[in-house]
Amino acid sequence: MNAPMTAAASTNSRDESSAAIQEGGSDEALLIAVGNSQDTAAFNQLFNRFSKKIFALGMKLTRNEQLANDLVQEAMLTVWQKAPLYDLDRGTAQSWIFTLTRNRCFDIMRKMKRQPTTVSADDIWPQEGEVDFNLSHAEQGSMEVEIANIESYYEQLPDAQRIVIEQIYIYDQTHEEAAATLDIPLGTLKSRLRLGMGKLRQMIGTEEDE
Amino acid sequence: MNSEATFHPNEELLEGYVQGSLSAGMNVVISAHVELCEDCQQRSQEMEATASQHWMQAEEEQEPAISADVAAIIRSITSQPQVRELPERASAVEEIHMLDHSVRLPRVLAKVASDGLVWKKLANGINQASVTLDDKTQCDFLYMKPGSQVPVHKHQGNEITLVLDGSFSDESGMYRQSDFVVRTPDHTHQPVSEEGCLCFAVLDSPLTFTSGLARLLNPLLRYRFRRATSIGV
Ligand SMILES: [Zn+2]
Repeated sequence: MNAPMTAAASTNSRDESSAAIQEGGSDEALLIAVGNSQDTAAFNQLFNRFSKKIFALGMKLTRNEQLANDLVQEAMLTVWQKAPLYDLDRGTAQSWIFTLTRNRCFDIMRKMKRQPTTVSADDIWPQEGEVDFNLSHAEQGSMEVEIANIESYYEQLPDAQRIVIEQIYIYDQTHEEAAATLDIPLGTLKSRLRLGMGKLRQMIGTEEDE
Repeated sequence: MNSEATFHPNEELLEGYVQGSLSAGMNVVISAHVELCEDCQQRSQEMEATASQHWMQAEEEQEPAISADVAAIIRSITSQPQVRELPERASAVEEIHMLDHSVRLPRVLAKVASDGLVWKKLANGINQASVTLDDKTQCDFLYMKPGSQVPVHKHQGNEITLVLDGSFSDESGMYRQSDFVVRTPDHTHQPVSEEGCLCFAVLDSPLTFTSGLARLLNPLLRYRFRRATSIGV
């Protein structure tokens, strides 16, 4: 069904980040490597660092060893799947993994107790990055404004947002490429892009209103 | 549409929400309040950060007993595709239509209501739509018409009421949109809504009416309606 990554791609990405990984990089660096380049070595390290923690949280919440063991696999699967959405601007890797573990645990327990599944953890604890979801739809086509104006607005943006927009709109990079170039998580890139574009639109909008 | 809340979940409840140790019903009512309340968004984010620090610092007493070999588990996980975009949310019911206007629901309650609400007339001017979220709580949307009053009752457990629209009052105060009102077992109270209100209520055990069921059906004290039909807004 889903084609696995090509061997070449994963080898390349591992080479790039291996230095940080082998030195025992921060949780954030590992998570970014997993999210930006499917780095399985980095994922291995995260698994080693967090599986005991996840098990302990599972025991505390469920008092059931089997469920706690299942939780380790479920939560680590979610770490892998959602790593590209991890966003440095919104907190540490440990807090990201903590909330994701709590959420999976809630869903596992409900499934086990056959409770109504009307609400899931993702309804109860809003997912990171979801809040300004609407902005990303409006993003396209918003650049058709006079360039001269934009330049002055653009200068006013915080550096972090400006360099992201630069990568995407000036150097014409994909989100993934830009995240790799700037060495930030894809999620962070996207949220800075949204924020920056939102601000630009706001400045353009205000000008027109007056 | 958010009005600033005056009444919030206490530390213990919010902590339980953050830690994931509460029942689904409690989680839902707290989540709905948090969506409406910037203060509690802030508080819960700080609690999440602290909780995750404690989580990392704690000593483990027991190791996970992963039966299969870890390398195989990791291989099977990393062969899964990753998520690069948040999925678009299936749109749930977002509003409850009242007599002459609609009330926009917090997201989690919109989801709760998405299976459809069956409204029952409970007593004079009070309508109730129950939803089942778990086996520990009784959860209801409550709509009080302007001038209605809930009969005197006592709880065995705690009752939490989140005001979604309009207002109500009891012996201890007046509660408006976004307010998170907690009543404990020893508390006998008699809520009254002059302007009408829509609430979401969670009981952590069944309630008993102190003055008997008959009371429920009796015409209640009449209140002058400030407005004939509208509830707030
Ligand atoms: Zn609050």
